[in-house]
Amino acid sequence: MLEIPNKLQAQPDVKKKRKWLDSEGRWGLLLVSPYLIHFLVFVVGTSLASLYFSFSDYDILNPPKWTGLDNYEKLFADPLFYQALWNTVYFTLLYVPAKTFLALLLAVALNQKLKGLKLFRMAHFLPVISSWTVIAYVADAVFNQRIGFANAILAHFGIAPQSWLIDEVWVIPVLVLIAIWKSVGYMMIIFLAGLQGISNDMYEAASIDGANAWQKFWRVTVPMISGTTFLVIILNTIYSFQNFEQIFVMTGGSTEAGSTGGANNASLVLMLLMFRQGFSFYKMGYASAIAWVLFLILLAITLVQFKLQKKWVHYD
Amino acid sequence: MKKSKFLSVVGIASLAAALLVGGCSQSSTQQGDKVELYMGYTSDPPTKKKMEEIIAKFEQSHPHIKIKTVTAPYEDFYQKLTTQIAAGNAPDIWQSDGTKVFGFAQRGAIRDITDYVTKEVNKDEVLGVEFNKDASGKYWGVPQGIQVGALFYNKDLFDKAGVAYPTADWTWDDLKAAAAKLTLDASGKNADDPAFDKNAVKQYGFTFFGSSRGAFNIMKAYGGGVLDPTMTQSIIDSPENKKAVEWMADGMKRKLFPNPAELKAFQSNFKVFLSGATAMQIDIYAATTSMNGAGLNYDVAPMPKGPDGKRFAPVIANSWVINKKAEEQKVKAAQEWITYWTTSDEAQKEWAEVGEAIPVKKSVANSEMFLNPSIKPDNKKVFLNSLDFAGTIDTNAVFAEWLKVVTDNLAELFMDKMSVDDYISKTDQGVQKVLDDFFKKQ
Repeated sequence: MLEIPNKLQAQPDVKKKRKWLDSEGRWGLLLVSPYLIHFLVFVVGTSLASLYFSFSDYDILNPPKWTGLDNYEKLFADPLFYQALWNTVYFTLLYVPAKTFLALLLAVALNQKLKGLKLFRMAHFLPVISSWTVIAYVADAVFNQRIGFANAILAHFGIAPQSWLIDEVWVIPVLVLIAIWKSVGYMMIIFLAGLQGISNDMYEAASIDGANAWQKFWRVTVPMISGTTFLVIILNTIYSFQNFEQIFVMTGGSTEAGSTGGANNASLVLMLLMFRQGFSFYKMGYASAIAWVLFLILLAITLVQFKLQKKWVHYD
Repeated sequence: MKKSKFLSVVGIASLAAALLVGGCSQSSTQQGDKVELYMGYTSDPPTKKKMEEIIAKFEQSHPHIKIKTVTAPYEDFYQKLTTQIAAGNAPDIWQSDGTKVFGFAQRGAIRDITDYVTKEVNKDEVLGVEFNKDASGKYWGVPQGIQVGALFYNKDLFDKAGVAYPTADWTWDDLKAAAAKLTLDASGKNADDPAFDKNAVKQYGFTFFGSSRGAFNIMKAYGGGVLDPTMTQSIIDSPENKKAVEWMADGMKRKLFPNPAELKAFQSNFKVFLSGATAMQIDIYAATTSMNGAGLNYDVAPMPKGPDGKRFAPVIANSWVINKKAEEQKVKAAQEWITYWTTSDEAQKEWAEVGEAIPVKKSVANSEMFLNPSIKPDNKKVFLNSLDFAGTIDTNAVFAEWLKVVTDNLAELFMDKMSVDDYISKTDQGVQKVLDDFFKKQ
């Protein structure tokens, strides 16, 4: 048998253990330090502070007083919490599937190499970068009870005018509609990027096998883009749970005398409840408890989604 | 080290240092005999300019005091103030919205100035001093500018409908009768007309909303109210309140008043009167600025009487309050400022020129500086006279919270989703719960 001298035998890759404080390590730490300090103080530090507040009675003006699990007990006995939780879940159930699917359709539609489509892509992105105050005015042009054109169209068909954003039944679907319109452009861009990664060979092969456009979409595009879809679903879920600005601006979180409010408890979501308890009612301890419960719920949902991805997400 | 390395290290070190130092606040300084007084107030550009002029004049006549200010528009100012109080570097003295004075007091943020007020503030010469007195007799602030509410009415709309203007003898029922004639549908029929179309109202007789411009006033005029004098118990469950709420619900049903959904269609509650879509509204003195700006032909009348002849006008005494943690020297300086503000004709006349509040010095308020006959409304004296029957709107430490309970339930009532009896019991329980949550801990 051929003997291979020791020297030439394949050696396993032994990484030389580097000390933290050698010259490369020092530079690394130094360059990372601004971000690290920021992270420790403004993210970790404030999260720990908020955790502490959630176990205390804190009205901002005076130091927090430890009260243990009081805030959490109050929270789980508060019917407003369950209403806010349901409203948030309801919003998410309407928002995530619709927006994900719509974004994918738009991306596929705008992925063609036709002239002028770049303009369409930009047009879809404009609402994304607009502020909610502006969007609220635009939405009011449509959904205003007196002068909005949604009611004008309904009147044409002889249907009585609806109060839309003040109506208990309609407020969340209308808010979802506006929210999807506003932000679908962003997810469309993400999907567009994902679509670039699907090689044309797959589509050619499908054509050869006699697939039509619809079949190509379901059998080639959707499976190949499932990694991106997973990302989009997770992001949409998180945005939906954290949706505050829209609800505040459009259905009255403002405490100013001129603000006309909304069907307030029909559109009360967890973030709005938290803001109101903390900043309007000075119950920052209670608001912090809401924040941590929201975090745990979102964490649980995200973990479940990660678990499920093994079943349907297909990575090359 | 090589030069490039050295510069990089300096650059990174200064970046890190800037991050750490960036948040540091300035400590108050004291140069020699001068006391630096840190003062906060809400403003928009015209009021800011005027305040700075008044401060400059004060510093001239009080050379041992230097005033450092912090100011911002309303919402921003109070957000900042809250964090400043939490951090311990709030102003020594600030101008507090009248509705927040007792909140600050009950949460231990401001100083009890009973001594100063009883010894040095002359109630015969300064308006509104009593509105900052709590149930135990302590004074927490001194008025800086008074807002009081009255019945605003659109003279053009009254003339068109041929209805006589409101008088000082009006009761709330008189108001409703007039409102019926002033509520018009799309074809111009008023609410008394049997063919009146409730679904096509173009003009409302009367609009009310919120706290100082809302239901509270009617409840008080009927002999009811929300909180007892200690502001720790709800008094909502009473036959007087029930009558008042029935009055309101009836008007809503007849479409004389815009309900919450209809209000929302106006984008801002104030736009209803400003755009001429309502003949009457409750509002405070400060509203005259925008009404004059909109060129409305309007005037004011005293708040109507309740069935027992009781009258109630809402008053908000925006006041100077002193930080509980302010040092003795600053407290003295702050009190000198307050004395100057309330007694100096110069300061009061300058502030009256801005026109956003009733001046607190009685002689100035009663002079032509305030009662200027060439600026609307003609009956400005109504505001001054209303102080005789004015009261605060029960603004204790949990004002925002109990107000939300009342407003939410009123909205359900006005949208026909709740009966008056349910409203009374639900609101009474809800408000009591809010009060108990806070006061039982004290």
